[in-house]
Amino acid sequence: MESIILETRHLTHTYAGGTSSAVTAIDDISAAFYSGEIVGIIGHTGSGKSTFIEHLNGLLKGSNGVVLLEGKDIWANKKEIRKVRFKVGVCFQYPEYQLFEETVEKDIGFGPKNMGLSEEEIARRVRTVLGYVGLNDSYLSKSPFDLSGGEKRRVAIAGIMAMEPQVLVLDEPSAGLDPRGRTKILDLVRTYQKQTGCTVLLVSHSMEDVAGLASRIFVMNKAKLAYFDTVAVVFSHAKALETMGLDIPQITKLFERLKENGYDVDTGIYSVDAAHKELLRLLEGGARR
Amino acid sequence: MITDITIGQYYKTESLVHRLDARMKIILTILFVVIIFLCKNYLSLALMALLTVVSILLSKVPFKMFLKSIKPLLLIILITAVLNIFYIHKGEVLFSWWKISVTTGGLSTALFMAVRIICLIMSSSILTYTTVPTLLTDAIERLLSPLKVFHIQVHTLAMMMTLALRFIPTLIEEIERITNAQKARGADFESGSFLQRVKAMIPILIPLFVSAFRRAYELSFAMSCRCYHGGEGRTRMKQMRLRWPDFLALGLFICVMAGVILLNHFFGAVI
Ligand SMILES: Nc1ncnc2c1ncn2[C@@H]1O[C@H](COP(=O)(O)OP(=O)(O)OP(=O)(O)O)[C@@H](O)[C@H]1O
Ligand SMILES: [Mg+2]
Repeated sequence: MESIILETRHLTHTYAGGTSSAVTAIDDISAAFYSGEIVGIIGHTGSGKSTFIEHLNGLLKGSNGVVLLEGKDIWANKKEIRKVRFKVGVCFQYPEYQLFEETVEKDIGFGPKNMGLSEEEIARRVRTVLGYVGLNDSYLSKSPFDLSGGEKRRVAIAGIMAMEPQVLVLDEPSAGLDPRGRTKILDLVRTYQKQTGCTVLLVSHSMEDVAGLASRIFVMNKAKLAYFDTVAVVFSHAKALETMGLDIPQITKLFERLKENGYDVDTGIYSVDAAHKELLRLLEGGARR
Repeated sequence: MITDITIGQYYKTESLVHRLDARMKIILTILFVVIIFLCKNYLSLALMALLTVVSILLSKVPFKMFLKSIKPLLLIILITAVLNIFYIHKGEVLFSWWKISVTTGGLSTALFMAVRIICLIMSSSILTYTTVPTLLTDAIERLLSPLKVFHIQVHTLAMMMTLALRFIPTLIEEIERITNAQKARGADFESGSFLQRVKAMIPILIPLFVSAFRRAYELSFAMSCRCYHGGEGRTRMKQMRLRWPDFLALGLFICVMAGVILLNHFFGAVI
């Protein structure tokens, strides 16, 4: 079993606490993330996903509960909170709007520079992460404002990766991109994880995106943690997910329908490969109950 | 923090003052400023203070909102008062040391000024608390419309003001988002010398300006797409109409003005 890298215990946060307009954005969330896994965080709009991840690097402090990084409370020493942010790299929704430097190189180097690394180390990291996000060295001297939307997004993500965090949190990295841009971002997240072995938490609206990437899924519903289990187990709760305003992948839906129509199939199917195997098995067995 | 700014914030509730015509409220606020500068003694000032309190009560806006609006200007009020105490040499000397002396006249002027400024702030706060910003700019536009004779683009100016007001909350939200994003990359806004802190603002300011310009472009495109072409021939969705409470309020203010002038005349001047 891998070791737990990041853990939350009874984490609760209330915006505008004590006033009449108080909103409990996350409510009593206890979860543990293992090192080296990819977790998909899904939930309906306003379910508290962004609020949850803002706690993981100490941008927000829970009104209740704790966040443990490698077993230590991140708020144990207030002055050290910046160090936590280098270990838990969070990339927010629409990160392209945070670019500000004259060149891509400088912008990606902003995080490492804040860490106090040497010039050579910064230069090395910038080149490495640029490779991870699929851009070549010719981009280094370009202005980030001259890039296309998708390229900007990738540069912004690279800016977080350059801090070499142990946990990389991405809030809807593929939002607002065309289908090819989406696959591209998801692919690069996968390769990045394989090469660095770090933990990745991926927030998304799309079950399809998450299903193809994550090993476990963290489902949020109305500020609460609804499910946190392997992809197959979570998708087997199709009906419950639908009432939460979430949609299971088309492929899984197909197998649900097959089962409803009396075919003896496994409903925890969410990839084309698995579907292929299952259908072949069905055709060979040909069993209709 | 930034969200503490109360000037220009509408306080939503139902009241007589809220229902008054925005144009009338602006005129009355200006009238108030004029009258308060006519005040020459404590009695007339007291009358104005009474008018302020009555208006606040009628507006049903909680009193602590008004205290909040005074807070940012407290320093100015204090400085004015202190300057008055030391510069005005009238009446009995109460206290003197080296070249500095405090007189009864100085103290009384300082008090008078402080009350006057507080009344001014509160009265303008009543206007902004009880009037929706868009309605306010709309009213300003109408009040200034005679200036069209001088080829001043009143409508354009008013539209600019409306848009600026509309985007203040959006920009505040944006600042928070960008600050969070840069903090996530280890930006440090809390420590270091003054110069370092100013420099640390650059990663916030640049994205903020970029996004403000982007929004401005998008907005102007969206407006052109809906055939916006300036004020000419443009009709309004909400018509403004003066009703009897508006005239009643005007009448009240005129009575107070007459009262102030009479009090000034019969009781002598302190200032
Ligand atoms: N700064 C804030 N002040 C007050 N309430 C807030 C604030 N930010 C978020 N909320 C509220 O907290 C709840 C959760 O918001 P959050 O942004 O975490 O949702 P989300 O799951 O990330 O949604 P989305 O998928 O749309 O990004 C919402 O009801 C929202 O209205
Ligand atoms: Mg969100």
